[in-house]
Amino acid sequence: MIQLKDITKRYEINKNNTITALKDINLEIKEGELIVLKGASGSGKSTILSLIAGLSKPTSGEVVIDAKHISKLPDNFASIFRRDNIGFIFQKYNLIPNLSVEENILLPLIPLNLDTKVAELKLQKVMDKFEIIHKKNNIVKNLSGGEQQRVAIARANVNDPKIILADEPTANLDKKLSISFIEILKQMKSSNKTIIVATHDPLFFGLDFVDREIEISRGNII
Amino acid sequence: MLFQLMLYLIHTMEIKMRDKINLYLIEYAINAILRDKYKNFFILSIFTMLTFLLSSVFFITNSIKYELDLTLDSLPQIIVQKTKAGRVYDIDADIVDDILNISGVNNAVARVWGYYYFENIGVNFTLVGVEEFEKQYKNSLEKIVQKTTLEDANRSIMLVGRGVKDMMSKSYYDKYFNFIKPDGSLKKVFIGGVFDADTQLESNDMIVMSKDTLRDIFDMDASKATDIVVEVSNPKEIPTVALKIKQKYPDVRVITNDDLRVSYENIFDYKSGVFLALFIISLFTFFMIVYDKASGLSGEQKKEIGILKAIGWRVDDVLKEKFYESFIISFFSYLLGVSFAFVFVYILQAPWLRDIFVGYSDLKPVFELPFVLDIETLLLVFFLSVPIYISATIIPSWRVATLEADEVIR
Amino acid sequence: MLLNPEVLTLLILDFVFAFFGIIAFILSVKIFLKWDLSSTSESQYRLEKQAFLASTIIKYIFLIKVPLFLFFVFTLDKIADVLVGAMCGAGVVDASGYGIYLLLLKILNIYIFAFWLTLHFNDMKKEQQPYTRLKFGVFIPIFFLFMAELIVEYFMFSDIDIHQMVDCCGTLYSNSSASYISVLFKINTVFLVGLFYGTYIAMFLSYLYKKRYIFSVLNVLFLFISIVSLIMFFGTYIYELPTHHCPFCFLQKDYNYVGYLIYVLLFVGTFNGIVCMFLDRFKTSLYFNSLYVVLVSSYVVVYYLKNGVLL
Repeated sequence: MIQLKDITKRYEINKNNTITALKDINLEIKEGELIVLKGASGSGKSTILSLIAGLSKPTSGEVVIDAKHISKLPDNFASIFRRDNIGFIFQKYNLIPNLSVEENILLPLIPLNLDTKVAELKLQKVMDKFEIIHKKNNIVKNLSGGEQQRVAIARANVNDPKIILADEPTANLDKKLSISFIEILKQMKSSNKTIIVATHDPLFFGLDFVDREIEISRGNII
Repeated sequence: MLFQLMLYLIHTMEIKMRDKINLYLIEYAINAILRDKYKNFFILSIFTMLTFLLSSVFFITNSIKYELDLTLDSLPQIIVQKTKAGRVYDIDADIVDDILNISGVNNAVARVWGYYYFENIGVNFTLVGVEEFEKQYKNSLEKIVQKTTLEDANRSIMLVGRGVKDMMSKSYYDKYFNFIKPDGSLKKVFIGGVFDADTQLESNDMIVMSKDTLRDIFDMDASKATDIVVEVSNPKEIPTVALKIKQKYPDVRVITNDDLRVSYENIFDYKSGVFLALFIISLFTFFMIVYDKASGLSGEQKKEIGILKAIGWRVDDVLKEKFYESFIISFFSYLLGVSFAFVFVYILQAPWLRDIFVGYSDLKPVFELPFVLDIETLLLVFFLSVPIYISATIIPSWRVATLEADEVIR
Repeated sequence: MLLNPEVLTLLILDFVFAFFGIIAFILSVKIFLKWDLSSTSESQYRLEKQAFLASTIIKYIFLIKVPLFLFFVFTLDKIADVLVGAMCGAGVVDASGYGIYLLLLKILNIYIFAFWLTLHFNDMKKEQQPYTRLKFGVFIPIFFLFMAELIVEYFMFSDIDIHQMVDCCGTLYSNSSASYISVLFKINTVFLVGLFYGTYIAMFLSYLYKKRYIFSVLNVLFLFISIVSLIMFFGTYIYELPTHHCPFCFLQKDYNYVGYLIYVLLFVGTFNGIVCMFLDRFKTSLYFNSLYVVLVSSYVVVYYLKNGVLL
């Protein structure tokens, strides 16, 4: 379960200029829920995601996930938590273009220094699931948009995380790819993962398998 | 029990090894290096160049030292010279008898030799006087003396080294040579033959003749000698004997072979030390270049690190990866630089560079740099290169590793 | 003397160490004064980042220091060739008043850095990072010791006069010498050897009975007793000469560089033993210490088997 308690996040651009990205946010997300965070760019939804992932720390308030105080963890432990529990899908996929599919998906596992067989197994499983295994040795930049999408999703899932965070996943996609993404989301929901999608794409609004839609505007929940 | 202990330890070492060495990370590091080809190739080349120069210098000096040590070994254990007002003068030859009486002394010989300046070409010949029936102080001389007679009823004969023969031939002196005596008159000496002595460094400019001929050329009194060489039966006694000679004859200078060796070593160390000092400057410049290149990260690279952190890499993981990168580049340059130096010095015989150390003269002996492989030199070059490169990357790597990842998400 | 390439290398690296060491020092002071893990201020976040830099620098220095120490010993041997009278590193160490202090400082600093790193790794393993303030505070005096070593190293090498004769280990390590070593000769050899093996057995027993603190203390004792017994007794069996007591000569090629093995075993063993105060390193310590005991004893045994008598 994810809890954001009285979260305020301010960014210091320089000595005189501070931006308040979030103000006194309180949010609770239950396990297995699929949440859509609605809001325009700059409304603060990406900030919420990065706080949940432990990528940044709040100016005040706490982030608690499964009784763990994520916001209080030092970097090392926050990263370990992120690695084991969170899968991130970025706006522009953020794959490393000159590496192969398999190498890209392997990235989260590298610091773990797993036994070769164990790593192989994880890779296989996730490449199978998202139907990209037939292209595992292809260089990513040569793949089609849809294939890259699946690589990005596979990478987010390789460690079998409990939580999936997606930041504007369809912002750069055409309708067809957007719809296929939503299909994959359905698939992930059925494996009981907690999924949070931050988006302003209307395709996500009013979907039946979405548990809740939360609207963010200028740092506040509406 | 001990056996169990051993097994346990091998097992823990294995685990610890895998803890410390992450093959996946190394592979990622190599890949990252290759992805930034041009910048890294540039750094690699400069660094290889630096280690190459450094290793070459050390290889050359090591070889020369080795060759010199061989030469010095054949030098006399003690040389006694008369000094007056700080300069070397002819010594009384009969001091030899006194020295022979000192306990521990095996042999003492009065040497007659000198340098003759051949003005036409501007080179110095070393003239060595020998007495046919006297025990020579050097084995190589012994062989030479046995070969020819140096005094004929009518004329003086000399044996010359290869370099000398060539020099003399250049001035059209083929069968004999006219030495100019101090009073201006000429002394004609016939060339009896050419010899090759044991080591190349010393024999090339040498001429062997009888003591009388030599005394004639240099106008030296029959009772005098240039210096006296002493042979001691037990090498450990050398300092003691040297001291005794010094005490008996306060106006002489006593030089032991150890003194010679030390002074030569110091000259070499001095020369290579100067080179090293210059190297420091270039290293400093290089440090700045590396720092600059490593700090200047493109937006692309910053993004990549951001992604890695977002998918769960800790700061420590990024630091480790950066460390692997710098170690691989620097170590590889080191290996390349040393290998190139190896080929350059021992196979190509180090053209141009060796002149700085051997000294430039026409009578420069043609000798081959002997192969000397010194672990210490390899370590020396390693410590001067790899740790310094890595230190230049510490701060840039840290800056990268501590980037705020959430900016990547935008 | 200063222009010897090996010495110059050591000094260059010292300079690099000093530069980074000062950075680490400044950061340590800041962290020691202002660290507060529970704070969410910008300055605390910055401090956390800087903590990484400081620990990376210290790791780097230690990583290079250890092989550099071996190189240092090598250099001492090489200088011995040029110094009249010195036949091994002992002569060089003695050529300057700073020599013995430098050697001790270097060994001490390696131990201390190793301790710091152990503390650091354990700190990072815990979520609270409980030792952060402590470890950086502790680094402050460590830094001064470290700088002392660098400064002494500079002075020692510039002090060495190649024209001055030095004593060889033969005179240094003999009963007749007027130095601190001669005191050691007054100790009865049988007693010393007994003490050596006795301490070893005591360590073993304290391991069996899981007495951590006693184990650590015994390791400290073992370190000193080993070195003394090495000089007085075991060394003579390596040299097969009852009067040769030098602790440096067996680092040379003539003895197959066994000296390096001996000292590495001893240092790793006793270091891990001392660390047992906080961590479970019993087995490692015992392993290395046992190997050490076996190694030095083997020289005695082999000699006896070859010659039928002891020295």
